[in-house]
Amino acid sequence: MQEATLSFKARAKEALADPTLKIAIDRTTGTAERKRAVAMTQFPQFEAARERGKRIKDHVIANLDHYLLEFERNAIASGAKVHWARTAEEASQIVVRLCKEAGAKRVTRVKSMLGEEIGLPHALDEAGIERVETDLAEHIVQLGGDRPSHIVWPSMHRTREQVSEMFKRLHRAPHQEETIEAMVDSARRELRDKFLTADVSISGANFLLADTGATCTVTNEGNAELTTTPPRVHIVTAGIEKLVPSMGHAIAMLRLLVRSATGADVTQYTTFHCGPKQTGDRDGPEEFHIVLVDNGRTRMLREGMKDMLRCIRCGACMNHCVVFRQLGGHVYGGTYPGPMGAVLTPMFDGLEQSRDLPHACTMNGKCQEVCPVAIPLPTLLRGWRDRSWREGLEPTAVRFGLGIHTFVASRPRLYRLGTAIAVRVMRLFNRGGLVKGMPGLGAWTAYREFPAPAKRTFMEMYKDQEKGQ
Amino acid sequence: MSARDTILNAIRGGLGNTEIHPMAVRREADALLQGLPSIRPPLLEDGLVDAFIARVTSPKVAATAERIASASELPAAVGRYLEARGLPAVVALQPAAPLQDLDWSGFELHDEVAPDETIAIGVARWGIAETGSLVFHSGADTPILANFLPLHHLVMVRADTILPFLDDYAAATAGQRPPRNVNIVTGASGTTDIEGSLVLGAHGPRFLHVVIVGTPDSSE
Repeated sequence: MQEATLSFKARAKEALADPTLKIAIDRTTGTAERKRAVAMTQFPQFEAARERGKRIKDHVIANLDHYLLEFERNAIASGAKVHWARTAEEASQIVVRLCKEAGAKRVTRVKSMLGEEIGLPHALDEAGIERVETDLAEHIVQLGGDRPSHIVWPSMHRTREQVSEMFKRLHRAPHQEETIEAMVDSARRELRDKFLTADVSISGANFLLADTGATCTVTNEGNAELTTTPPRVHIVTAGIEKLVPSMGHAIAMLRLLVRSATGADVTQYTTFHCGPKQTGDRDGPEEFHIVLVDNGRTRMLREGMKDMLRCIRCGACMNHCVVFRQLGGHVYGGTYPGPMGAVLTPMFDGLEQSRDLPHACTMNGKCQEVCPVAIPLPTLLRGWRDRSWREGLEPTAVRFGLGIHTFVASRPRLYRLGTAIAVRVMRLFNRGGLVKGMPGLGAWTAYREFPAPAKRTFMEMYKDQEKGQ
Repeated sequence: MSARDTILNAIRGGLGNTEIHPMAVRREADALLQGLPSIRPPLLEDGLVDAFIARVTSPKVAATAERIASASELPAAVGRYLEARGLPAVVALQPAAPLQDLDWSGFELHDEVAPDETIAIGVARWGIAETGSLVFHSGADTPILANFLPLHHLVMVRADTILPFLDDYAAATAGQRPPRNVNIVTGASGTTDIEGSLVLGAHGPRFLHVVIVGTPDSSE
């Protein structure tokens, strides 16, 4: 993984220099932003629904142990087997063990961000089990040998031209026509027999229903049901924060999730899975396993990040983030990109590794505004910045610079002298009212210009006025 | 300590070890579903069937729909659908009595759905007007794969089983033992994974045609 070895800044530089990446990002996030805006106009109750959604999640988190136990009890009663995993490694080990016990040679997977979070693709590959990603985007990611760059559109960093090239090279009966329809068809042909011949299927869950022990997944392609129905064993991995009290609560959350993610009212397929095949059922798995994963969630509860446990992984925050839309998801280096990723990654990977992420934010507040469960993302990011400072993780240059600033800013005379000199120096570079270039500001002025300052500082003019009166 | 106990203890610690009263939790959860009309979208039309059809055929759902007076007219409706598209009268018929009992003379029927099945005919238990959705329960007469393998999926739903909102489905089944799968199907399979542009027929059906039988107050 190349990304992991480069610093955030080096990755950002690479992304900015990539001529096709920005086009690819804009095509997907632009569409998502427009469609969401239209959906909002058709749902005048959205604000009230959002407030309710926030309260539903807060209620679940405040009673999380109660709901987990209720879920476990009902899931077992439905014939499911429930497993608990403290860490990513533990969760992956459980899944790999279940695959091995099932004698699995081929495993089909439904896209799940938790699966990515716990490193499941890698763990399966390591164990020598053939892994077939069935979501179209994950299929593209698998063929390209890279990583998802968005939580809803994992392959949005690829242009149609790149996808076409890959399919032609790697599919058994690739498309002839250069249309997206023909490419989708090519993937349909390629994956058809793999759905039906897998030994184990693995999916995630958008919601866990405490009162029945059912899990809920939302998809548009129908790959989830094609994946989880034929194999003998179905394994669900889910974060412990995914609980809701009942189907009614899941429905209230679904209305928020889908509109925020894609602008649709509901996904094409909303499926509730409850236990293994029942007596008389025409199809379905013989075994149904649910792996409940902590991986830092209880720490978030303890360490003041409870609000983040409301996150339903819709991706609206990244679609509306000015930084994400310049850089794409890979630059963030973790499983989750964008604003929610910048909050979560320091939790998973440690702040020392990822202290740049909370800084890669303009604090414009857009993410919080569009979040369907009103997570105060800018506040949480500021929390990481504070902590990075307190723990001494900020680089010497930053500490030194801020030290000088504090020294000067807390001495009014010195500060006024400094600004008086600065405006005069900056005016030397005045070109028709704008500063378009200045020594030491190359990186800034290469892409933007700023208005030349006034001839004198505010304080100088203010003092003159006082004297005049 | 087991992973389970470690996690549960960590949660209790994180929540300040406060005591939980199941009845109070239940009351709070119920209260969160009060006043539903204020937190859900409006229906598109006044009449339930009209609202349902308006959603099914809206650009967002992009399925097709037609109404027939009684189930006995379904084979003829299917025949018209196939003829209009130049498709052969070879169909996979869901092994459910309301379909099997009809007169399908002139059709070549089978009940196992093939991986590359062109046409499958099914019956939904409920329709949802809010979203234009069809609801299926897995069971002895409902193979789940039949909803996902065919290219054309033709679904019959009785007008008197159309519910206004998704919540009404949840209420209608509350307290019952859930089936292994509940599929809420809204339109044909689609993907926006390549540059965000919508293409139908990703892995599931490319065409969904909904046939509504009778009127909301008919027993047919």
